[in-house]
Formats: sequence, structure tokens, C-alpha cells
Amino acid sequence: MATFMNYLVLGLTRGSIYALIALGYTMVYGVLQLINFAHSEVFMSGAFGSYLIVHGIVGAGGHQSPLVVVGVIAAGMVVGALTAGAVGWTLERVAYRPLRRRNAAKLTFLISAIGASFFLSQFAGKIFTSQSTNSFPTFFAQNKPLFKLFGASVTVIEIIDIVFAVAAMIALDRLVSATKLGRAIRAVAEDAPTAALMGVNIDKTISRTFVIGGLLGGLAGFLFGLNYGFGNTMGFQPGVKAFAAAVLGGIGNVRGAMLGGMLIGLVEALLPTAPWINGTAWIGIRWTDVVAFLVLVGVLMFRPTGLLGERLGRAA
Amino acid sequence: MRTRVVTGAAILVTVGAMALAGCGSSGGGKNTGLGGSSGTNSSGGSGGGQTYKIGFQGALSGDNKQLGINEVNSFNLAIKEWNAQSNAPFKVTGVTSDDAGDNNKSPAAAAALIGDSAVVGVIGPIFSGPTSAAGKAYATAGMALISPSATNETLTSSGFTTFHRIVPTDGVEGKATADYLAAKFKNVFVVDDTTVYGKGVADVVQTELRAKGVTTERQGTNGANDSNLGPIATAIGGAKAQAVYFGGYDAEGALLAKALKAANYTGLVIGGNGVKSSVFTQNAGAAGDGFYFACGCQDATTAPTAKAFNTAYTQAYGTPPSTYSPEAYDATNALLQAIKTAQSSGTVTRASVETAVNALDYQGITTVVKFAPNGEVAQATVNLYKQEGGKIVELGDITKQK
Repeated sequence: MATFMNYLVLGLTRGSIYALIALGYTMVYGVLQLINFAHSEVFMSGAFGSYLIVHGIVGAGGHQSPLVVVGVIAAGMVVGALTAGAVGWTLERVAYRPLRRRNAAKLTFLISAIGASFFLSQFAGKIFTSQSTNSFPTFFAQNKPLFKLFGASVTVIEIIDIVFAVAAMIALDRLVSATKLGRAIRAVAEDAPTAALMGVNIDKTISRTFVIGGLLGGLAGFLFGLNYGFGNTMGFQPGVKAFAAAVLGGIGNVRGAMLGGMLIGLVEALLPTAPWINGTAWIGIRWTDVVAFLVLVGVLMFRPTGLLGERLGRAA
Repeated sequence: MRTRVVTGAAILVTVGAMALAGCGSSGGGKNTGLGGSSGTNSSGGSGGGQTYKIGFQGALSGDNKQLGINEVNSFNLAIKEWNAQSNAPFKVTGVTSDDAGDNNKSPAAAAALIGDSAVVGVIGPIFSGPTSAAGKAYATAGMALISPSATNETLTSSGFTTFHRIVPTDGVEGKATADYLAAKFKNVFVVDDTTVYGKGVADVVQTELRAKGVTTERQGTNGANDSNLGPIATAIGGAKAQAVYFGGYDAEGALLAKALKAANYTGLVIGGNGVKSSVFTQNAGAAGDGFYFACGCQDATTAPTAKAFNTAYTQAYGTPPSTYSPEAYDATNALLQAIKTAQSSGTVTRASVETAVNALDYQGITTVVKFAPNGEVAQATVNLYKQEGGKIVELGDITKQK
């Protein structure tokens, strides 16, 4: 039981990060019907941005007073989100808007997206002469068990990950369903020409959608980096998983992306490690990716539009 | 000027001090004298007019360039010291060829050295993959290879007739590690990163552990680039294993060390030569303290025989020698000795250098450079290391540990 609960907590932590990234894919798809393959690098840039500020404040690390810790975490989140938001905004301006102006084919967007993805990853690698993994300085006892949950020790960082991811998701859900910007996003997603006739500024709405996706991706980048380390190639694997999560939940569907992310995280942590006793496993952790994508294909066979359906236009 | 005085004296006293006489300021010379070298009393003060080229093939760019830099620095240092001797029987020029650690780029890198007819011997290739990709071409060209760090088992049984290495194989290292673990523990969890290196060495460890009656659990991680080591750490914690062996590379090893700390695992954790690096210590930080490494390599910053080398290297490059630097230094000096032997017994050709390399018996700073007929180093020591206070310290020969 304790082992099972340990895996469950790990799955929720990982899943909440996948969900944050998946939102970026799904929202852009909602307004543009475009898979923004460079989103994994938007996520990566968030991790670098937050590292710079965290490193700038605490240097090589060493434990700080609780007030400083809270401040550094807040700064890391904000700067990470802003960096990735800015990268997302620039990306839309440079890689997509010129194509949209010229009514380019869908395939052209895809190539542009992949090109942007490689560019950003390599660029970050060059300017930071990055290794494939780097660590944030340790500035608080992040792996300290906070409390026991049915035998599983839940650590400080796991709580931070889950709490802030869920908070961001709730905020986004409110934003999309209850604000003017949210209404504009939904209108553009449902029928862009008509929305334009009704006075919605399409360019502005699309641009803001990229920024919102970037903000969430940057937050995810900070949380991911703090937990697992970061590097210029860090985006690929979680990016693919998050994209899968978005499809699993129903691409274009905001709540679907959240659900899909959590599910992929849980499936990854729980299925390959079953039956959760001792060190033995029926499938084995080395099959994690295989299992995750088999489940994805399996679900899509029965629900081709994802678990919650592609509710385009009604993003929430 | 001081250098000249020192080397001048060296001629008068003995030819044997030549290897390090050039670095007069470090007071070298005595540590790496010719010792048991064959052809000691050969071409003494004669010659000096000839210049030969020796090559270096390794990763000087790409993700794994750090090891390449560690080694090429030593390569250049050894050449500089050789040429600085006023009684050098010949001069050498180093030619480097970058394979980026990539199997696909290795044949071209090798062709560049083979195509230069003045190159009579090569240090490298430094990685196993590039070696297997280019070993055949070097063998056909009859070019002697001395690798400071290619450790894959199969390299000496693949028909690469001119290949030699001065480090023990992953198999030797893995077996020594398993024997060390078996003497202390009854229950060991073996983890690999599913790469050729990681799985290969983990297989050796597991087989040897079982042969010694140790109970083992085995799991692979979700690939070498996976960041999510939490589940495997939980599996290890659940298995109640007394010790963990990790077969894989530094970056993932650091993540595993962190995940195990987070899972409150308190047993012994040990990895192989793939984990022992500054990437591990940087990324693991405090979580890496207490992590053990078994490596068929020498730590030049602590080994007493490497003191002069350590000083000269640090002076030349502003950073202390790192993993495989001393091995590359030994390999280069051994090759230079072989060329000298070849010169004293006739002409220096690739063939005569290859013959001389096969017959080498040279006391280096890490080992006695002497090869078995298949190219394996005759005397192989696997050392145990441990990270303490953020630094990797050498504990000595693993077979002599308690």
C-alpha cells in the first residue's frame, strides 16, 4: 500500500506538469487548428529564465530563511512564466503570423513549427553552453517529507508542484469561461471569420493565446526544472507526453488537457510498476513510454476525439 | 632559460630522465623516467632532425566533448614536453581529428589521420562506438592505436589488429565491482539505463553477483535521457535492497542519486566509469555525497605517481586534470617510446611503430603500459571512488577494500 501510494504521488506530480504543458498545445490548437511543436521549447525557455533569477538570488545555494525561500520560489515562477510568455509571443510573431497573413497551407505551419523548435533548442544550448541536464541550486530542503499519506511520504516539492499546477489550471479555467478575453478566445476557436465580424480582434486574440500558453508552460518549466533538472533538450520528452495528453483529453479542450495530463502521469507511474510490491514489476519501468503510448492509442481507438471530445469553440 | 639548464644537465647525467625533463619548474623527471622501457640506451643525443606526426582521434565537440578535452590536453602536454627535451631523438607534431563522439563521424575522422602519411601512430579513438566504427580502417592501414578510455569488451575481439588500450574493460570493472559488493551484501538491486554500455556492465555485475550467491533484483530505467527517476527509486526502496548498482551515465546517475535521497534510501549506491565525472557532482550536489564509483582509471589529483603531471597540467591549462587525463598522458608517452624504439632499430614506419607498441613495457603514472597479444593492458587496476563533500575522492584498489 505504501509503495502504491508513493507511485501515486509521483504520478500526480508528473501529471500536473504534463497538464500545464498540454494546455499550451490545446489552446493554440483551439484558435489556430495548429499543433505548435515549438511549445516544448517555450517550456524549456521558462526553465532557463527561472534558473537565471533563482541563481541570481541564491547563487550556488545553501539553505535560506523561509521568507527568502518563498520569495525565490515566487520569483522563479513569475520570471519563468514571463520568459516563456515572451518567447511564445515572439514565436507567434515570427514563425506563424507572416504565414497566416499569406494564407499558407497547414503543412507550412507545421514545418515552421518544427524549425522554430530546433532553433530555440539549439540556440539555448549555444548561448548557455548547456549540458543535457543542469540542476537548480538547492535553496531549501525540497525533498523533506512533509507528511505521510497512507504510508507514502509526500515531499515539499511535490506539494509545491501539485498545488501551483492545480491553482494555475483553475485560474485558466476561470479565465477562459468567465472573462472577455476568454470569450474572445472561444469565439475565434469556434468561427474566426464570424468572430471578426462581431468585433473580435483575431490577431490580438491569437497572440494572447500564445502568451497564456507560454505563461503556463514557463511555470511548468520552473516546476519541472526544480524537480528534475533542466537543459536545452529537456523539452522534447515532456513535450511529446503533454501533446499526447492534449490529444487524449480531446485536443482543443482545456479541461480535457488537464485530465489527459494527469492521466498520462498516473499511467506512467502506476502501470509499469504494478503490482507495487517489493522491487518486482510485471512490466518494468523501462517500458514506461511504450505503456503510456499504448494506452493513448487504445483510448483513441474507442474515443477518437479524446476523452472529453474536441469541443472546439467551447474551450471549457 | 631555467628549462635549458635543467635539460642540459639531464643529458650529462642520464638519458633516462627525458620524459619529463622539459618541465623543469615542476621538478619532474624522476616520476616518469624510462623505467622498464625497452630500448633505453638507444639514440640518446643523436638525431633530433626527424619530425614525426602522431594523431589523436576523439570527441572535441558535441555533448561528450569534456572527456575529449581532458584527454587532448594531456596529449598536447606530452608532446610539448617531449619536444622540449634538448636531447629528443626526434620531434613530434600532434594532429587532432574530431569525431564528436559520434559513430557516424568516426570513419571520416579516422580517414583524415590515415590519409596523412606522416602520421605513424594514433591516440584514441577515445570512445567505444567510434572505435568500433573505425577500428577496421586503422587495422588495414597498419596504424597503431592506443586508446586511453574505450572500454567496451568486444573491441579487442573484433579483428582490430592494431588496437590497444591502457584501461581495463567494462567487464573487468563490473566483475571487480560485483566482487566488492558480494563481500558485503546479500541483496543488491541492479539498475541499468538500457544503453549498450549501461546494460552491458549491469549484466556483468548481475551475473557475477548471482554466481557469488547474492540475491539480485533488476530493472531498467525508461531510457538514458529520462528525467523521471522517482519510480525506480521507489521500486528500490520497496525492494529493501542493501545496495544498488547503477549501470549508466553521469547525468542520469545524478538524477538517480537525487531521487534515492528523496525516497529516503540509505543503502550503498555505486556506479561505473560512466557516472564518475564532474557532471555527476555538479548535478547531484549534496545528494551525491556517499555515492560510490568503480573506475579503471586513476585520479591524477591524488595519485602520488602523478604529482609532476598534475602540476604541469594545471599550469598549462589552468584546471586540474580530470577523468582519463592521466591515461591519455600515459598513452601518448608510451607511443612516443614506441616510436623511439622503432627509430633505434631501423626506420620509423607505421609497421615498425605497431611492432614496437606490441612490445612496450613502459612505466607510466597510472599503470605499466604493456599489452597482451589481443591489445588489452596486462595490468589492470580498478579503483574505488566516493563522493564526499561534493568532491570525488579516491579510496584505492577496489580489490583491497574492506
